[in-house]
Amino acid sequence: MTINKQSFWDRETKTALWRIVLEYQGKRDQALKKNQLEMEGFREEVHQMKKQALDQIDQLRKQAIANLEANGIRVFEAKDDNQARKIIEKLLKDKKRVIKAKTNAFGEIDQKGFLADKQVQETDLGDFVVSLVGDPEAHPVLPALHLSPEKIAQAIEKKYRKRILPTAEGIAEFARNYLREKINRAQAGITGANAITADGKIVILENEGNISLVSRWPESHIVVAGFEKIVPSLKEALMVVQASAIWGTGQDWPAYVSVIASPSKTADIANETIIGAQGAKEVNLVLLDNGRGRLIEAGFSELLHCLNCGACLNFCPVYHQIGSHYGGKYLGSRGVVFAAFSQSLKKAKLANCFACTLCSACLENCPAKIDLPELMRKLRTLLEKEGWQTKENEKMIANIRKFGNPFGKIEEGQIPKELYCC
Amino acid sequence: MSILDKILGGNTLYYPGCLTKFVAKDLEEKYQEILRQEGIDFITLSELELCCGSPALKAGYLADFKKAAKENMKIFKDHGVTKVITNCPACFMILKKYYQEALGKDWNIEVEHISQTLGSKLKAQNSKLQPKVKNLKLTYHDPCHLGRQMGVYDQPRTVIKNLGYRISEMKLNKKNSFCCGGGGGVQSNEPDLASKIAQDRIKQAKETGARILCTACPLCYLHLKENAKGIKVKELSQLFSLNKGKNDHQ
Ligand code: SF4
Repeated sequence: MTINKQSFWDRETKTALWRIVLEYQGKRDQALKKNQLEMEGFREEVHQMKKQALDQIDQLRKQAIANLEANGIRVFEAKDDNQARKIIEKLLKDKKRVIKAKTNAFGEIDQKGFLADKQVQETDLGDFVVSLVGDPEAHPVLPALHLSPEKIAQAIEKKYRKRILPTAEGIAEFARNYLREKINRAQAGITGANAITADGKIVILENEGNISLVSRWPESHIVVAGFEKIVPSLKEALMVVQASAIWGTGQDWPAYVSVIASPSKTADIANETIIGAQGAKEVNLVLLDNGRGRLIEAGFSELLHCLNCGACLNFCPVYHQIGSHYGGKYLGSRGVVFAAFSQSLKKAKLANCFACTLCSACLENCPAKIDLPELMRKLRTLLEKEGWQTKENEKMIANIRKFGNPFGKIEEGQIPKELYCC
Repeated sequence: MSILDKILGGNTLYYPGCLTKFVAKDLEEKYQEILRQEGIDFITLSELELCCGSPALKAGYLADFKKAAKENMKIFKDHGVTKVITNCPACFMILKKYYQEALGKDWNIEVEHISQTLGSKLKAQNSKLQPKVKNLKLTYHDPCHLGRQMGVYDQPRTVIKNLGYRISEMKLNKKNSFCCGGGGGVQSNEPDLASKIAQDRIKQAKETGARILCTACPLCYLHLKENAKGIKVKELSQLFSLNKGKNDHQ
């Protein structure tokens, strides 16, 4: 397999990316300090916390569903992406105007043509911008990092016939006004979740404030999340929030954290409880399996410790060259591994499983200490077993079997071009 | 060492690994000379030993890897080997970490990266290593398998400093080091990608202002060298000059 020439980022984007990443690194370390956290100790804590939660996930899941439902939140379990789409379609049956906040879980089950009969509006600024330009997300937390303000301003002018200042501020101002109107008229809002507690709370963090609006303003709120987001209680959920903020954007704490425990309600009149005051009248949670069960069975459950902060990409040498071409529905090494179980082994190969150098930069930068290179290596064993090997590797192994070394027979004074190593 | 000591104490094997043995052959000769100069008694098994299995393991051939581990262990034990010294970080990681995992208790052979061997000699002050340059600036690239995966950051640096060099660190160093792009089978599976990554690393090295980029891995060395412009790439052993009074690059 060879990566397509068009998949490589251009020089300017790469330079911009490095600038952002190095700045991020400094901010992350500052944020840890501000929270009086020692990096290695905290990573170990997050790792243990997620591991313990995953070890008892069946039980936590049952508790969470029972408690959420007792609070008036409807829970729909989706076996796969197809089922998830059907559930969402049903929930949106009489609704036309839908607003969306950043949710990678929705991206996981999304498909061309899904909700095509609705007006779906992205409200996260980065997502709004990439959908406007028509590019894929370049990063889960900073989806528009590859776009310059000039390029975005041009796209806005072209689509909305409105001249704006080609600055971050100008773009944010335009989006604020434009999106508020959309939010105002929306009938349903879709968000993800950063954590769900077994005692029945949905926890979502954000900076922009759009998630607060998307989850409260329309009549119906739909949350899409994988079941691995379930943790025992708010204590663990807040640890997720803290780690996600520090490693995601290098902040000590995000601007907003929503804890949603039920639909909006009031008992102000005659002490009668009415569902639906100023917030959402109904809250629906679509809880995804979509390959997670298979992943656990196959011994890859560590992948589900993921908080989706995106930090594993920041120093990944492959990501720095081919960006969103590395990974599947999720970017980077974890996206490759996830694709194998939520989609197919073939997809994992196409997601560039064999492009990984196993350098461990992802592991080093992961707040949950997920051993992604080890999972990647294990995945290659599965690919090999099921016949998804590369030609080069087949040559290499034939040499090892025949000659006891990966290069084969080497003539005197000759240097092999392909260094099947190390 | 007397013959009896050898039998009782066991042999130290110098294991260069396939890449050094078949491709970067000059490094093997150099390392053997260095070990001799340092008074380290060692044996070699040249054609007898097999590939450590690293490329097989990383490409997903688990059974082949386990077979290699078993066979190598037998060969090593048949030759009374109780310690292996290798200059290849991949072999080092595989022999130390993954052989242990695959073979369990049976694998009781000590494994060292050669920078550790030389580093501890320096620490014990019984090294014959002499500085041959004065305060010459270079930058050091941490091989992923040696640094991030095995935690060996300081010993190669100690050796380099004792050879008279001054290390000017890249922004991304030690546990934040940036991969050369060659490992994990990527040099052969995705050559364009591998080269682009190496070129980024070369750029980072040049930003230090150093004219020499040194690394302690044969793959990083070959791969970076292939992609270097405007900076000299050296493998650790090439900084040594043996009984000539001058270092190689002078
Ligand atoms: S694998 Fe780790 S670093 Fe990557 S997104 Fe998940 S939690 Fe963050």
